[in-house]
Amino acid sequence: MKLAAHVAVLLLPATLVAAAEDYKLGPDSKRQERVPRGAVTQGRYESDDVYPGTVRDYWVYVPKQYDGKSPAAVMVFQDGRGYVNEKGHSRVPIVFDNLIHAGDMPVTIGVFVQPGSIPPSKPGARARRTRSFEYDALGDRYARFLIDELLPFVEKEHEVTFSTDPERRAVAGISSGGICAFTVAWERPDSFRRVLSYVGSFTNIRGGYDYAARIRKTEKKPLRVFLQEGSNDLDNLHGSWPLSNRQMAKSLEFMEYDVRFVLGDGGHNGRHGGAILPDALRWLWRDHAKAR
Amino acid sequence: MTMSNVRTPATAFFAAAVCSCAAAVAQDMPLTQVLLPGEGWELVSEGHRFTEGPAVDAEGRVYFVDVPASTIHRVEADGKVTTVVSGTERTSGLMFGPDGRLYGCQNGGKKVVSWAVEGDGFGPPKVHAELPSCNDLAVLSDGSIYVTDPKEQQVWLVRPNGEKAVVARGFEPNGVVAWRGEGTLVVTDSNAPHLWAFRIEQDGTLKYGEKYYGPLFLPSGKTVPGSDGMAVDADHRLYVATHAGLQMFDPTGRLGGVIAKPQPTFLSNVVFGGPEFRYLYVTCADKVYRRKVKPHGRPYFAKPAD
Repeated sequence: MKLAAHVAVLLLPATLVAAAEDYKLGPDSKRQERVPRGAVTQGRYESDDVYPGTVRDYWVYVPKQYDGKSPAAVMVFQDGRGYVNEKGHSRVPIVFDNLIHAGDMPVTIGVFVQPGSIPPSKPGARARRTRSFEYDALGDRYARFLIDELLPFVEKEHEVTFSTDPERRAVAGISSGGICAFTVAWERPDSFRRVLSYVGSFTNIRGGYDYAARIRKTEKKPLRVFLQEGSNDLDNLHGSWPLSNRQMAKSLEFMEYDVRFVLGDGGHNGRHGGAILPDALRWLWRDHAKAR
Repeated sequence: MTMSNVRTPATAFFAAAVCSCAAAVAQDMPLTQVLLPGEGWELVSEGHRFTEGPAVDAEGRVYFVDVPASTIHRVEADGKVTTVVSGTERTSGLMFGPDGRLYGCQNGGKKVVSWAVEGDGFGPPKVHAELPSCNDLAVLSDGSIYVTDPKEQQVWLVRPNGEKAVVARGFEPNGVVAWRGEGTLVVTDSNAPHLWAFRIEQDGTLKYGEKYYGPLFLPSGKTVPGSDGMAVDADHRLYVATHAGLQMFDPTGRLGGVIAKPQPTFLSNVVFGGPEFRYLYVTCADKVYRRKVKPHGRPYFAKPAD
């Protein structure tokens, strides 16, 4: 009886969500003939400064057009494994190849980073996972991790140079990675001014619901923010994702930010965000296309 | 029951639908996973001055102290409460060790001691360490003891051979508990709305301390959380006694919910005890309460249950 009740409760929302979502990847997210392909390499990073003891995987995408002489634009994806996967929700290497080739975005290096984990010192003990600690916390710590630690390491390790122009530095993420991306730019607009969030957790996991209020009473920052959200997203102990994202969008609009809010009918996943990623990137990098 | 324990084709489909999103959503742990409908706090013992230090033995029997009375009491299987030790020099924190002895922090005596439980009585206490102050302790499966020293704002490690060393300092510690598997030690900070987590090294020292659990709920108008004793359940949730109530955190440090206090007095400590360790026992000023819940505790010295 207990089991049957669980199944019924679990299945209902899953069915609704599945029925609501029909987002499909378009041609910009598929391999095209004669489009130069960038290279993706994987690495592992052990922090000894901002998040001591944590280890994490990362990937670096370097477009074919990167000549190694002029600094490239950079876009950092949190929960990067899901974004770099060429069979995943966003297939960023393919989309970057296509959009860079078309001149819709600058020559951009993608950095895809996983959240950290502190492995145990003893066999049989549990690792301390630091995803929520890093992503959901407010403050400048994660921004410092990217700016002072990870990106300089990647530049050295992979022999690339990132632009120091904040207008050419973007940060992205999904769920808690979405609020994390916003937090990086909010704290450090001197370093990042482009934000892309899928189903961002602007809820009360570790206080992030407060942004909607803070934005309205804080002098406007020079950010460009793309928020994707779905009406069937989470409604749980931490809050309502659809309401929180609407609040964020309204607050950013109230302060006349350069903001775009796309509300679909998806759930807590990257399908809608992935389907509209090419358009989101064209919007985030639109000055580049104009400049050409 | 946790979601991962339900294995049917239907839930497998649901799990696949959720996991395919690559959003890496940690499992949410709301209070509905903990509280049983219709089960509230029930009174276990009353008439004390200040109760603290609940500890559980391998059979699930709960012991607690009355600090100013310098007594240790035991809740028997039939619910009767007996006094098993007197003259404890204001012992507060208690925990059973791997040797079956009951370890305690003597607030008054400023000593870490242990008693052998001999039938209905207790032998004389054995002294393990003398410290500037001691409030609460966690005894690991190898016999190492972590002790909070609020006066000097530090945490001590007392090794099985009696050697002692300061292993953390710089905040006012009170409660202390080890994760199951003993990879992480969690320590409260009396003055701040977070709990510290440290990695336990092979030599017992602590590394990579972070304000991992937080933010804690503060009662409106309060600036300090009043964090005190803690417990962990078999699913790795952590419970901490505070002014606002019994705050429950998931293993990634996110607040899952706040369980109401049984009475509006100081809530000092918590332990899983009773049959199958399925009751939360709390010490709350003059009284001790318990409440049946969905999760259960699983102390390392308990007989394997599953």
